[in-house]
Amino acid sequence: MITVKNLYHSYNKDDQYQVKDVSFEVKKGEVFGFIGPSGAGKSTTQNILTGLLQLQKGEVTVGGYDVKEKSKDRFNKIGMSFEQSNVYSKLTARENLQFYGKLFDVPTIEPEILLNLVGLNGKEDVKAGEFSKGMKHRLTFARSMINNPELWFLDEPTTGLDPAIAADIKDIIKGKNNEGVTVFLTTHNMFIADELCDRVAFIVDGKIKLIDSPKNLKLQYGEKLVEVEYFNSEEIVKETFSTVLEDDKKTLQNIIENHEIRTMHTKEATLEEIFIKVTGRGLI
Amino acid sequence: MKLFSSFVKELKIASRGFYFYIEIFMAVLILAIFLFAVPDNFNNKNAEYIFLEMPIQAEEIYLEAIAENDLDKQSEAVKIKIDNKEKDASLYVTEDKEIYILNSREDVIYMGDIERKVAAVIKMDENYEFNYDYYLQGYESDRLKNILKILHVESSDTIETAMDNQDVRPLLTNYETLSDKENMLPSVMVFNGSLMGLFIIAAYIFLDKQEGVIKAYALTPSPVWIYLMSKVGLILMTSVLSSFIVLIPIVGLKPDYLLLLILLLTTGFFSASLGLFIASFYKNIMQAFGVIFSVMMLMIVPNISYFMPSWNPDFVKLIPSYFMLEGFKSVLLGNNDWTYVLTISGGFLIIGLVLFFISNMRYKKTLVG
Repeated sequence: MITVKNLYHSYNKDDQYQVKDVSFEVKKGEVFGFIGPSGAGKSTTQNILTGLLQLQKGEVTVGGYDVKEKSKDRFNKIGMSFEQSNVYSKLTARENLQFYGKLFDVPTIEPEILLNLVGLNGKEDVKAGEFSKGMKHRLTFARSMINNPELWFLDEPTTGLDPAIAADIKDIIKGKNNEGVTVFLTTHNMFIADELCDRVAFIVDGKIKLIDSPKNLKLQYGEKLVEVEYFNSEEIVKETFSTVLEDDKKTLQNIIENHEIRTMHTKEATLEEIFIKVTGRGLI
Repeated sequence: MKLFSSFVKELKIASRGFYFYIEIFMAVLILAIFLFAVPDNFNNKNAEYIFLEMPIQAEEIYLEAIAENDLDKQSEAVKIKIDNKEKDASLYVTEDKEIYILNSREDVIYMGDIERKVAAVIKMDENYEFNYDYYLQGYESDRLKNILKILHVESSDTIETAMDNQDVRPLLTNYETLSDKENMLPSVMVFNGSLMGLFIIAAYIFLDKQEGVIKAYALTPSPVWIYLMSKVGLILMTSVLSSFIVLIPIVGLKPDYLLLLILLLTTGFFSASLGLFIASFYKNIMQAFGVIFSVMMLMIVPNISYFMPSWNPDFVKLIPSYFMLEGFKSVLLGNNDWTYVLTISGGFLIIGLVLFFISNMRYKKTLVG
């Protein structure tokens, strides 16, 4: 669905590239996470893919279209939810979606359905300027679905939302992905990336450091240990066992059979820990 | 359909914002000023302040001669404030001037020096001949100074006879003229229609950039020219509306409104395209303001030539508003000079299309920048 080969980009059009030799592919139906700290080159890459920035160097095809092509037909297949809400503040929620829907050449979803989906039912005739930040963000998110996109770009889709709404948004993304929509997710939130993405790319200083599935990364970078808390004569004992060594496996089995287990965790690395380990950088 | 829905969207946003109402309010304000404060014709009479330094008998004869040209053949006793004192004076009003007879040379000098009025002392010498002392301001042209030098070489009777013998025939006798009030309207229309359009369309673009909605628009299959044209359409509509608000109550049915509409639309299109073109180089209105202001000031320059036809250097004719003024004046005269107005309109349409085309190319690259 997306192919990027040797992509470079410099805002000053010199050799001080903000994006350097970036290459990756996104398969149809995949949720691909583009992860990195602020200024890493995530938005620059995404803007080149969507056409908001002109391609300077490299090859990029999106939805089967070369981004160098001037035709705007490809936007019938693409949806984009921006990190910064960008709706007409003087138009109502319904008017915003009605206007936007008329700009496409493909069948679009009724504004009421979309507003209901993102929890803005009852706010159809309220001007977007009167919305809270979170409501504007949901309206922007709803707008990105209006043309039933095959390829959906999501830039920090849950940033600034309360946990309940964020959970709803994640469910919507999962649902759309189950319908076959390819998702390109840009975020610095490792939890949402871990939960939603089939594969993630770590980008730092304009370079991709690693691309793999969260599961593989955890297996590769996580330690093969289990941490157990159990009651021993009313005392709480905490011990760590290897899941590889035979003695440890036997001891663990013995504890499980003869003691009440309070907690038990595999020492699986989080995506954030892996990111720091791989890139040597935090996400902030 | 996309253009129409974009235009409807612009109408909704404009009707809920303040730029639209500023233009309509300005039109109503201008109309009120024209209806209630601007007279049909201004008082063009020059005021002259004179002291007659001569024997009383000669003065009486001189004043009788002036009174013959007075509209009611007699003087009016008036008070004039000179050096913070109320002083007596005699006023004679002729068809083209007001003549104040003062009582001392000092008063005449005060009026010339402090009040910057036309002031003169007429005195009689020992040979019973008149001599004239003119108090000039210093900025008078050499031509005026020269004519004053030779004016009294011959007697006034000789000069009048010579003037009467000159045969002056106008080549065109059926021309229409505008009243002073109507003559100001072309200037108002250029400013309120075209120049405001130039500024406001740039403001609309920068407002969209600020809200980020342009980015969302850029990711639709809808072409950029539709986005730009819907804004131009809004500017044209408000320009026509505000112009008609001012014109209809003042000039009634005198002009050909179809011709006026064509000229309003083409000049408005040109100005809006120019505004788009300028705005395409900048990210916000603060950056663009200097250039927009300079262009607006440049476009105001032909007004000087319009109101002072003697100042008409060639470079003024290169400024588009020169032709806007002439075009609007032609339409307001009501002489239905279709060829002239359509030629001007065609010119503005062609240049407007070129500017719009270039702007469209630029916005395709810079709309979201």
